[in-house]
Amino acid sequence: MGGERLIDDPLSVITLVPLAMGLILMILPRVLPNSSAERLIQVSRNISMGVALAIATITTMLFLGQLGSIDWTNITQGGYVLQNEAVDLIPAIGVTWKVGADALSFPMIWLTAILIPISMLVEWDAKRAHLFFPLLLIMEGALLGVFVALDLFVFYVFWELTLIPMFLLILLWGGEDRRYAAMKFFIYTFTASVFMLIGILVMYFHTEAIAGLGSLSGHHFDLIAMTAQENLIPNEGLRHFVWLLLLIGFATKMPSVPVHTWLPDAHVQAPTAGSMLLAGVMLKMGAYGFLRISVTVFPESTIEFVPLLIFLGMVSLVYGAWVCMGQTNLKRMVAYSSVSHMGLIFLGIATMQPLGIAGALFMMFAHGIISPLLFAVAGAFKHHYHTLEIGSMRGIAHHSPWLAAHMMLGWMASLGLPLLAGFVAEIAILIAFWMTYGWLVLLPALTLIVTAAYYLNSMQRTIFESNDSEHGILPDTLHGEDPSDLTWHENAGMLTLAAMTVLFGIMPFIFWDMMSDWSSGFVIDTMIEAMQAQEWSP
Amino acid sequence: MSDTKNEWGLLVPIIPFLLVVPYLKFLAGWESVEAAFLIVVVPLLTFPVILVLGQLYNGNETWKNRYKEGGIFGLGALALALSIAIWIIYDYIVGSAHFEAHSVVDPFSWLTFDVIEQSGTQWEVSTGFADIGVGVWIDSVTLMLLFVATFLCFLICWFSLGYMNTDKINEDSNHRFYGEFVLFAIGMFGMVLADNFLWLFIFWEIMGLCSYLLIGFYYWKESAAYAAKKAFLTTRVGDVFLMVGLLILYDIYGSLEFAVIFEDPSTGVGGALVDSGELFWALLMLFIGAVGKSAQFPLHVWLPDAMEGPTPVSALIHAATMVNAGLYLVVRMVPFVDVHVNGVAGLENFALIVAWIGGITAFMAAAIAFVQNDIKKVLAYSTMSQLAYIFTGLGAGLLFLNIGEHHAGYFVIGASMFHLFNHAMAKGMLFMASGSVIHEVHHAHDHVRELSEKYSTNEGDDHGDFDPQDMRIMGGLAARMPVTATAMMFGSMSIIGIPLIGGFWSKEGIIAETWKACLAEEPLMFVPALLVLATAGMTGFYMTRMWLMTFAGPPKSEVVGHVHEATPWIKEPLIVLSIITAIGGFALALFGAAEYLGDPEYDHLSFHGILDTLEHAFLPEDINLRLVGWTTILIAMVIGPVMASRIHGGRLIDGVEASPLVSWLVNLSSRFGSQDVSELADSQLAEALRRRLYFDDLYEMTLAKTAVPLAELSAWFDKNIIDGVIKQIESNSSTGSLQVRRITTGSARDYILMAAVGMLSIFALVWGVSA
Repeated sequence: MGGERLIDDPLSVITLVPLAMGLILMILPRVLPNSSAERLIQVSRNISMGVALAIATITTMLFLGQLGSIDWTNITQGGYVLQNEAVDLIPAIGVTWKVGADALSFPMIWLTAILIPISMLVEWDAKRAHLFFPLLLIMEGALLGVFVALDLFVFYVFWELTLIPMFLLILLWGGEDRRYAAMKFFIYTFTASVFMLIGILVMYFHTEAIAGLGSLSGHHFDLIAMTAQENLIPNEGLRHFVWLLLLIGFATKMPSVPVHTWLPDAHVQAPTAGSMLLAGVMLKMGAYGFLRISVTVFPESTIEFVPLLIFLGMVSLVYGAWVCMGQTNLKRMVAYSSVSHMGLIFLGIATMQPLGIAGALFMMFAHGIISPLLFAVAGAFKHHYHTLEIGSMRGIAHHSPWLAAHMMLGWMASLGLPLLAGFVAEIAILIAFWMTYGWLVLLPALTLIVTAAYYLNSMQRTIFESNDSEHGILPDTLHGEDPSDLTWHENAGMLTLAAMTVLFGIMPFIFWDMMSDWSSGFVIDTMIEAMQAQEWSP
Repeated sequence: MSDTKNEWGLLVPIIPFLLVVPYLKFLAGWESVEAAFLIVVVPLLTFPVILVLGQLYNGNETWKNRYKEGGIFGLGALALALSIAIWIIYDYIVGSAHFEAHSVVDPFSWLTFDVIEQSGTQWEVSTGFADIGVGVWIDSVTLMLLFVATFLCFLICWFSLGYMNTDKINEDSNHRFYGEFVLFAIGMFGMVLADNFLWLFIFWEIMGLCSYLLIGFYYWKESAAYAAKKAFLTTRVGDVFLMVGLLILYDIYGSLEFAVIFEDPSTGVGGALVDSGELFWALLMLFIGAVGKSAQFPLHVWLPDAMEGPTPVSALIHAATMVNAGLYLVVRMVPFVDVHVNGVAGLENFALIVAWIGGITAFMAAAIAFVQNDIKKVLAYSTMSQLAYIFTGLGAGLLFLNIGEHHAGYFVIGASMFHLFNHAMAKGMLFMASGSVIHEVHHAHDHVRELSEKYSTNEGDDHGDFDPQDMRIMGGLAARMPVTATAMMFGSMSIIGIPLIGGFWSKEGIIAETWKACLAEEPLMFVPALLVLATAGMTGFYMTRMWLMTFAGPPKSEVVGHVHEATPWIKEPLIVLSIITAIGGFALALFGAAEYLGDPEYDHLSFHGILDTLEHAFLPEDINLRLVGWTTILIAMVIGPVMASRIHGGRLIDGVEASPLVSWLVNLSSRFGSQDVSELADSQLAEALRRRLYFDDLYEMTLAKTAVPLAELSAWFDKNIIDGVIKQIESNSSTGSLQVRRITTGSARDYILMAAVGMLSIFALVWGVSA
């Protein structure tokens, strides 16, 4: 693939290359003769890391404008940059390979591209590395596919494709109860996305034929054309129904209460890298899909269902926080905290203010760098202390100062400490929420106290208070081994995440500006019209 | 003593930091305000350096002895911050720099966004809302706080070099102390300099984090870990309300910048008239934040526990700087209520709330301080009580301003700010002095134990139930620690308000003006006015009690005999602050510090003349105020101390000499006879005070009865109800249909096949329906 071609269509490249490389690295050792297979297996890890780093570099260069020189601000709604020339995939039903990015998807693309090498680094000593690392590459391709696809069929395929590597990660590298968790994860989210598929198909059968695209059915999956089509589904009842079907798929992925219970099980059993990607990127697919499809294509239904959004958001946020308080397993607590934080995204969207939506977008990004740090910390506890039970160890800051430091930073970032990434999203959403709903803001605001409480409690009962300056209280699971601090690769991965948390906390405008532009454009071009049509007022 | 001499050489590395200001001024030609951002940025770059180097060179001899585990770097950065602060203050007071606008550095745009508004049935993009940025804001209050913060950070860092680095227990973790110390400095400096409410809040939270980290510095101690958490969560409650206050303010004014809001606080975004009801709620929410941070009733419970932190931390964060943040926030509310210039009328109730909270806290904290035996706890309650004075003063000031009495309003606001200054200096010093006492007592105890257990090789921090902070084992230290005793004497005098010394000048102003507000304007001010007056006498009692228990009378344990005032780096800050406390307050009062700090139209400090100043303080024209003033002096200077002397006073043992002034005081204390108070000490009231009036118990019980069960219930509900339903569906479907059971093979390939088949069939189905 030549340099010119790369500049022409970098999004296809970053999506397909990891997929292809991952598959090659997994299949090739089985077909090659033994000796070369051996050799390939040995370098498989390094090749995977190389590919992942290359993708991260390309993505970063795209952002910095060194590749493609794109102005990421002021991308109009419905206009995408880095679009390719659509390639027909299944012409008979109108499926095309069409990719593009805008300010909604690009931060997610960059996040994915960065998180993959970091999670590889954190779990650099994984067992069966020749399978583990190529699987992460496949994961990367599938995730990027979700974010770049502008064809709903392709979008759906990638959406389901992400399940497979994650399923295998949990099944093959998971904890004691991995079989149950993997199964639950797969069936739960798969079932939910079937509802989404039905929604997508109904949309499909309402599309008008596009000239030049000779599909037999006369319909197409092109998201841009669907968005542009006036009144895609004329029947109001059906439109609302489709919106709800889509919501089931997206809300399960996010996840929102009451369809969240797959998440804690999956997280507790998943390997560290799996948890990091699951929380960091996979959950964002739900919010991304919701904004990209439900809200964009059906703004009127969105406004109709704003009370539902507020309800789901509030319940996830408040109830999620209280459930966190009641957890005794560190990873389970962190998993529920994701549920709680994702609630804020619904609240941000429900404000119908550009500020709130930009806050929701920033929340997606900020949570995408903070939660992997949290899971890396939790994973390190499992790795070095062989337990995740809060309170089974005390004062481990003495034995694992780096682990304690990362825990402190990650926990503080997640509870919304200013100058760390999470705060920006939080304050933006809350300001917008006050503007629209007034005193109702007290509920999410007071929940911040609960959030602080469970995080501080868990720290107090792990890294603090052993009552002995020379020794911590060690868990039984250590069986008398000497406790250890982070390994170099865990530490390097966490330091990168920590640095990003601080960087985006102090300089949120790196991504905020484009998110804010996108949200303004979105609200002004799409939402206002619908709000006026519905005579909506808070 | 020789130790001290040798260690001066360690200060060489801070010289380059001190050369920055001369370089910028004379060679680079900067204006002082252009360098203001360096006050925050230099520590921001220093603190990770200290932490990382500390982690890398932990245990290294050079790092330990030459760089004091990072302390020297911290001192350098703080010296630079102090020098820039002094440069700015010099420019401002001499007037060579022109500060026409308070917002002296163009705000840097941090978050940009649009806001849409409904007008009639139409939604449109509003033009009135500003982006959120950050810049530098400088006025007289900023400068005063900036000086307090930079100066005390520097001195207390200096003090820490002696206090922290000579204690074995801190060895190899001092870089953590200095790193967090410098991070705290960033928070404090940033909060003072920030030109808008959001950034004020951001730095405010950074301080909260550092407070948490430093209280929990001895992380293995259960009490420290608990106290740290308690401090963070209690202030967090306030902070959340503060945040809500910001949201309301932003909604009213479309901006959080001081420059925009203070331009005309009576008109909101788009020229709308500001409703005093809405503004009341905004200010009240902000005030709850201030109450949390400044440890006022009812969010005061964290401050006494915060004394678990190392003493320099108590001195800096929990006495001299961070706890002032709440006061600073309230002072920033002045333009909202000042009807003399564009304020919003009808906020008297808010002013009353501020004054009442202040009055209640002042009285309550002073009462609890009566029964404390831990020297740091006495000081903690005293801090709470003195901060409450300032709140009362500010409340009275806001009241005056809101009803149009701007001269009185400005004066009492200025007096309150002046009290903040005096209190910070005195209390910072008192804590350092108490640290000096604790440190030496601790060492003496080690020494005594070594003598008695020569054969024992058991090292470590095993002190049994020995508590070096307990005043009941001290007594008679005046002879052994002359510098500390003198420093603590001046500090106590300033806090009590002995005429002519530091705190007198400001406290008198607060009490007199509160009474004036009560008598002339608002009868509801009677309660705070009465409480602060009573508290003046109580302050006289508990401060004298503390000093006498520590320094006077015969030694109460054998440890005292082994105490020496020998640790390097500890005396210099005490001496500097003693001088400032003793004569600084008077000097500033001569120049009209109170007027200068309170009145925005009052440009420069100017000499008032000694007689005028004295007359103003002791013989005010209003006969009522004269009465109040003399009553204050009588109860604070005579009744309180004499009662304390009757209980705790006593001569030193024969043959030991203290410095003349100190020994005169000690001897004086023994002349009032003695009084047995054991009956009073056993009373129900004393027990209630010892239990801190049951607030901590009440809060803990409430949490244990509500939050904990709610959390457990939620977790149970999630596991058994929400997930239980899912599991039920799962097992029903698998037992109900053998087919389903057979195909859930767990093999990925089968699932993919199922997925494909499923998709196709759905596709066909929907197609059929739609067609």
